[in-house]
Amino acid sequence: MSLPTDSPVRHVTRVERLVEGWALKYGDRITGYFRHPAQAARWGEFPPGLSAGLREALARRGVERPYSHQREVWDHAFAGRHVVVVTPTASGKTLCYNLPVIEAVRANQAKALYLFPTKALAQDQVAELLELNAAGALGVRAFTFDGDTPADARQAIRVKGDIVVSNPDMLHQAILPHHTKWAQFFESLRYVVIDEVHTYRGVFGSHVANVIRRLKRVCAFYGVTPTFIMCSATIGNPKDHAEALLGEPVHAVTQSGAPRGERHVLLWNPPVVNPDLGIRASARSQSMRLARHAIRARLKTIVFAQSRLMVEVLTKYLKDVFDHDPRKPERIRAYRGGYLPTERRQTERALRGGAIDGVVSTSALELGVDIGALDVAILNGFPGSIAATWQRLGRAGRRQQPALGVMVATSAALDQYVVRHPEFFEAAPPEHARIAPDQLLILLDHIRCAAFELPFASGDRFGENAVDDFLAVLAESGVLHQEGTRWDWIADSYPAAAVSLRSVADGNFVVVDRSEGRQTIIAEVDYSSAAMTLYEGAIYMVQSRPWQVERLDWAGRKAFVTATHADYYTDAIDYTKLKVLDRFDGARAGQGTCHHGEVHVVRRVSGYKKIRFYSHENIGYGPVNLPDQELHTTALWWQLDQAALDAAFSNRQDALDGFLGAAHALHTVAQVRVMAEGRDLQKTVGSGDAAWFATRDLQGRGQWRGADGEPVDPADAAQFHPTLFLYDNFPGGIGLSEPLFHAAPDLVRAALDLVEACECNGGCPACIGPVPGTDNASGPSQAELAVGVLGLLGA
Amino acid sequence: MSALAEKLARLRADAGTARPAAPAAGAAAPAPRPAAAPAIASLQALRALASARENRSRPVPLPAPAGTQIAPGVHLVERAFAYPAARLIDLPMLDARPIERARLLCFDTETTGLAGGVGTRAFMIGVAAWKEDTLRVRQLYLTSIAGESAMLEHFAGWLRDDSILVSYNGKSYDAPLLKGRFRLNRVRHRLPELPHLDWLHPVRRRYRGVYANCRLATIEREVLGIVREDDLPGAQAPAAWLAFLRGQSSRNLARVLDHNRQDVITLMRLGDHMAGLTRLQTGSPR
Repeated sequence: MSLPTDSPVRHVTRVERLVEGWALKYGDRITGYFRHPAQAARWGEFPPGLSAGLREALARRGVERPYSHQREVWDHAFAGRHVVVVTPTASGKTLCYNLPVIEAVRANQAKALYLFPTKALAQDQVAELLELNAAGALGVRAFTFDGDTPADARQAIRVKGDIVVSNPDMLHQAILPHHTKWAQFFESLRYVVIDEVHTYRGVFGSHVANVIRRLKRVCAFYGVTPTFIMCSATIGNPKDHAEALLGEPVHAVTQSGAPRGERHVLLWNPPVVNPDLGIRASARSQSMRLARHAIRARLKTIVFAQSRLMVEVLTKYLKDVFDHDPRKPERIRAYRGGYLPTERRQTERALRGGAIDGVVSTSALELGVDIGALDVAILNGFPGSIAATWQRLGRAGRRQQPALGVMVATSAALDQYVVRHPEFFEAAPPEHARIAPDQLLILLDHIRCAAFELPFASGDRFGENAVDDFLAVLAESGVLHQEGTRWDWIADSYPAAAVSLRSVADGNFVVVDRSEGRQTIIAEVDYSSAAMTLYEGAIYMVQSRPWQVERLDWAGRKAFVTATHADYYTDAIDYTKLKVLDRFDGARAGQGTCHHGEVHVVRRVSGYKKIRFYSHENIGYGPVNLPDQELHTTALWWQLDQAALDAAFSNRQDALDGFLGAAHALHTVAQVRVMAEGRDLQKTVGSGDAAWFATRDLQGRGQWRGADGEPVDPADAAQFHPTLFLYDNFPGGIGLSEPLFHAAPDLVRAALDLVEACECNGGCPACIGPVPGTDNASGPSQAELAVGVLGLLGA
Repeated sequence: MSALAEKLARLRADAGTARPAAPAAGAAAPAPRPAAAPAIASLQALRALASARENRSRPVPLPAPAGTQIAPGVHLVERAFAYPAARLIDLPMLDARPIERARLLCFDTETTGLAGGVGTRAFMIGVAAWKEDTLRVRQLYLTSIAGESAMLEHFAGWLRDDSILVSYNGKSYDAPLLKGRFRLNRVRHRLPELPHLDWLHPVRRRYRGVYANCRLATIEREVLGIVREDDLPGAQAPAAWLAFLRGQSSRNLARVLDHNRQDVITLMRLGDHMAGLTRLQTGSPR
């Protein structure tokens, strides 16, 4: 590995000094070092017909010449061709769409709709438009239209707005269902700008694709066919993804002409502290050390954590170092979803103004929220995809000075795989964003909303789908009325209100602080994570201050908390039972079978662990009593017949351990394959009829549990058909398990490679999962058992 | 069909368990009853066998409860009432000079609900207008959804250049809703150009705190002494029309017609009452 010391003698920057220091002291922890040289700008020309007014306004804003990619986008946009542009941070993305839009507004009184995934991004955008507008007295009227827009301003925006800046949720819930009020706007709608399209994937993306179908349907009613200009961070399939969202051909502009500062990237693996068990020092401790060094070197630093809980833990640790003196201004802030908007805006302002030296965030700051320029990005753990890693690393970077990014691996399998294969990290193309817009449940929701907006006729299509059967289902439930071939909305309800684009369930929990007689909402938690974070007894943290959940009102969607001084935090324990309902497809898999089909999943949070700060020792357990969460979804699963298992393993315990290890490895390689976020694709081992399920005990040995949850010796179990499941964590599935089923032989091979090539001694979190206490003196190791199962499932 | 319906029902049950207990009514509409699925399947099979026409599966339409059909799906009910009154009326909020009473167009709609958005429509429009000591009440209502655009065109034809709209809460509710329906059905109209006298606000200014509330029913009872018999509360109007449309009963739709008719008559009487108040207050010599 070449470190920056071999660069020619020149001014050594603070970043370089920091990297040199780390290399000298911790060289063995750096498993990969990449240095992306600065890149000079590639220029284009302004389009020949560009109005003088806009050109002057741009000159006043310091834009004398456009970058090459900007010109490319303009040519497509002016010609009315849908276009998607792939834009790194700070590459002049907004001008790609603002220029054609402003020209059309000024020349033809055209209108434009901008969609951003968050309100904060929309507000940034309007501020920028207003500055450009003011610079040239262009007379373009741009407004945000979101949940905060006062009712009396809405009418004016509908009529007077040339550019309306909103988000998909508002389009879905407030604009489309009231489209007649927006008739003037729609009749002149020429451009639709959709920024950050890479965030529209999975469940959210599938919803947004359907909102776009509805938008196009309403546009057709008003006789317009707007041109779509989309922007994406780097993903592997920007063109395909944009086409899937829009349902039409899209041109892709992928080469950025913007200059880039030099970027140093380090892959960091915490040192091994117990070679026998393959246990490494925590990523947390390493990330904290690196962040402390960077902040002391007067480098503005962002730390990305994988969970909201970890944001709070890391913020506390950094505040303990930098903010222990209450008389001095705060240097460290936390930023994550669930904070109230005012608190987030305050942190963004402080970051832009340079008042803060360190921020700890979840993926919430991965997007283009304007937080000014930072120097160092530290990733506490692999974000789950190459694309997200580069987006986070891209948060550090100023024009002239070099930026530094460090990816600190946790002991999780995926992290270890990435950090030990730096060539994979550097060479791998970014992952593909996937959506499943025709997912039945999502489709039904949006056909319902679309029927409210404009009547359907028999034989109509929504996307590629014939709607007749869906209309019949909706008529059956009383919301549609059929007359001949025409289907009209008839119910006294507002269907968009019941459909949340961001989750299956529309039912956020609010966290209410009741300390000292207060009644203050301090946070919101989405339905899917409520059971894991708001059980009674849980420690819930905001800006690293701990609250304890006293009472959880499940039906009322409220958690009542009081401030506390606990020296521990809590982590939920959950388990999953699964039952096969239907087999869609099946194939031989080695000596066993692999199937794809529909399953019923029951998840239960059974209790929680108390974990002490700093020492991270387990200091107790508590019970949790919450309703089961049920899910019908799609899955793929592997099974081995009894004879093959008996022949290959000396006892059922070994076979069970092998299955659990194999599940861990298969889940890891499957996640890499589908760009799934961990919670979108889940794994479990059970009997396939919900009668039995498997968990690991504290020593990492498998336990075979019956329907009552009590462990039973698998040798005594009446039936023993361990089955390994990977399933979509969404009602009806979200399109992950089917491509995985078709790639099943590859997955088994890759999982086998992962375990066999692992350098550990008998199994570790990087290959087969946490197996801390297994005694392998007699008999095969856990890793060997997993290899046994994977071998039987392989060709 | 039945396979899709069953599958959707099961998936929606999952999502339903995840939703708050009380979503907007009908928004998370109840999943199809399992028992209904086989019935549909067999109905479809029958239909295919007999290649029966689509509309066989729909209920037999009920006879319209009143009036005459003026276009497919639209009925008109007309009544005239003796209403001796001066030709001119003082409405200083509109004009300092007295106004020709014949210009007043008292109107009220009955709609499919209060949910708002383009999914809510007016299924009935009632209008009262005065001419030569007679109050003529004309009511349009839909006997099928397909009649909407004909009903709107008919109503638009009643709006003259010099008409003055009179309503109760019509500026915030009825007029915007009708504008949306005109837009959706691409029917030209002059609603936005006409002066609009919405009695809700003057009534509120005069009677706030005097009576329990300022709903039209309260004001007409307390101020005008009108007592309605067997009145169908406005909130039940959507269900009444649906029951008719679905071939279940036309009884309540007839009561909606009565209710709507009284509303527009009350609007004219309210005008005389309010004009009288103004006269008292200003001491004008009429």
